[in-house]
Amino acid sequence: MAVMIEGTEVSKYFGGLAAVHNVSFQVQEGEIFGLIGPNGAGKTTLFRCITGVYPATSGKIIYRGRDITKLLPHATCVLGITNTHQVVKPFLDMTVLDNVRVGAFFGRGWKQGEVKDATEEASRVLEFIGLAPRASFLARNLTLPDRKRLEVARALATRPELLLLDEVVAGLNPTETDMMIALIRQLRDNGITILMVEHVMRAVLGVSDRVMVLNFGEKIAEGTPKQVSTNPQVIEAYLGKSYAAAAKAEQQSDQQGS
Amino acid sequence: MQVGELLRSWKTWISLGLIIFLLLVPFLGIGGGYLQTLGFLTFLFVTLSTAWNILGGYTGQISFGHASFYGLGAYTTSILALRGINPLMTMPLAGVIAALFGLLWGYPCLRLRGQYFAIATIGVGEATRLLMLNLDDLIKDIPLLKDALQDGVLTGGATGLMLPTPEDIGSYAMAFYYGAMGMMFAGLVVSWWVKNSKFGLGLFAINMDIDAAETVGVNTVYYKNLALMLSGFMVGISGSIYAQYMFYIDPQTVFGFPMSIGMVLMPTIGGSGTLVGPILGAVVYIVVQDRILTANIEIGTFKLSLSTLHLLVYGGLLVVIVLFEPKGILGLQKRLTRRWAKRGVEVAPPRKMA
Repeated sequence: MAVMIEGTEVSKYFGGLAAVHNVSFQVQEGEIFGLIGPNGAGKTTLFRCITGVYPATSGKIIYRGRDITKLLPHATCVLGITNTHQVVKPFLDMTVLDNVRVGAFFGRGWKQGEVKDATEEASRVLEFIGLAPRASFLARNLTLPDRKRLEVARALATRPELLLLDEVVAGLNPTETDMMIALIRQLRDNGITILMVEHVMRAVLGVSDRVMVLNFGEKIAEGTPKQVSTNPQVIEAYLGKSYAAAAKAEQQSDQQGS
Repeated sequence: MQVGELLRSWKTWISLGLIIFLLLVPFLGIGGGYLQTLGFLTFLFVTLSTAWNILGGYTGQISFGHASFYGLGAYTTSILALRGINPLMTMPLAGVIAALFGLLWGYPCLRLRGQYFAIATIGVGEATRLLMLNLDDLIKDIPLLKDALQDGVLTGGATGLMLPTPEDIGSYAMAFYYGAMGMMFAGLVVSWWVKNSKFGLGLFAINMDIDAAETVGVNTVYYKNLALMLSGFMVGISGSIYAQYMFYIDPQTVFGFPMSIGMVLMPTIGGSGTLVGPILGAVVYIVVQDRILTANIEIGTFKLSLSTLHLLVYGGLLVVIVLFEPKGILGLQKRLTRRWAKRGVEVAPPRKMA
């Protein structure tokens, strides 16, 4: 598998605050890469550095051999990177179909001449994501789960190769969560590489191939979901030192036992 | 829409009748040409209103500085006409200069968001007015620019510029009546095209959520500047026509803040962000302005001319609209039809929630 996107010592400072500090990562083509960490760990900031909302203060981000560190979001979108927003941002006074049409028109497909008719493409995406019955609704009349799906649909209409999902499961009930996870798997099977930030551990550990953990802007662990969830440093970041010690002891006794 | 369907709709016949009436106005001679002048001004203001709406209504970038485009268009035509160039030939140039001026201040200012952009445009409008007011004094000692002056006059300062009047003023005015009408329809076609194009979809996306628009690939800076330039181009041409029709311009009229406010008010009254709203708003605006400017209140020996109060009336109107019906006349109409329609709904079964 080839490396799709690679960050080298990416840092982002807001004044004196290091929101992201010297984080390096590699995402392989076709994998689901999870990004977790406590609140304020810098996950969303890292996302924004990749898409170009905030250019990184230092470090380099290479996407398929191309330096995209300084590119703005619309430029990275045309290259095939797009993201969904943690707080969903539908175009409220447009219909659901028009929302997705914006993605189809301005994303990658149109410029490469692949999409003959953006409306057709938008309808296809809505069909795929299951929002087709609501196509003529105004986005402001959608419920939260539907808005989240619309957010994903609009991003998909741009024909991304790397999709950054920012907490798409948060706020959904268990049934909806399962549907969203199934959708994410389906997207990966369709050849889209996925980088996801998620707080719902069941979701992110269940679906990811590899996971990276951030804490206070620094990378503290990386590996398979199992490696990460038993890593004492990760447990310490989430639950505090005493739990970490307990987990360490448990791990040692496990190893002795086996 | 099918042709048959079009023929059956009352709206088609009303608009057709209206267009025929407007075409006949100069020959009817109602009020000794009064209606023709009012018509000309209405066409002009509908164009201005529609042009502002492309930036303010579709894109959501509220500009209080559009008088600068209007004035630049008017001055471009007047300055060139006084140097012996056919004023009609200067119209495209008037539009282009206004559009380029838009790029000049739009490039830095459109990076600002929401109210900050609006505040910056107030500054732009006023700065342009003051510049044009004092331009002659500023350049009279600069050797390179001195040659641009003619008898020491380029913009004429506060006195303004006077164009020679043609001999046959009647047919000249009539020609401009139809010219302005053509310009208005051209403006409306542009506005309709923008609304239904990829360009327009991008503008609406910017209006509703600029971050989301950027995420899905809309080059927001580029599109905002393009909208401003298109808007400026249309306003510049309107200014050029105004100068040719009035034969006299001065900074206070064409660059004045009331002009900018007018362009904000018209689409807001009618319903900004729509195609028809700015037309309705401009018609209401021009009729109200015409009534107010000529009306007097007389109580015994006390006499009050309302013309001094017309800005007060507009200010009040703006407050009322923003407070009670931000979507203007069209919003009001929608609300009323919904209310009337509701009476019948009670017997109908409740709509199934999808």
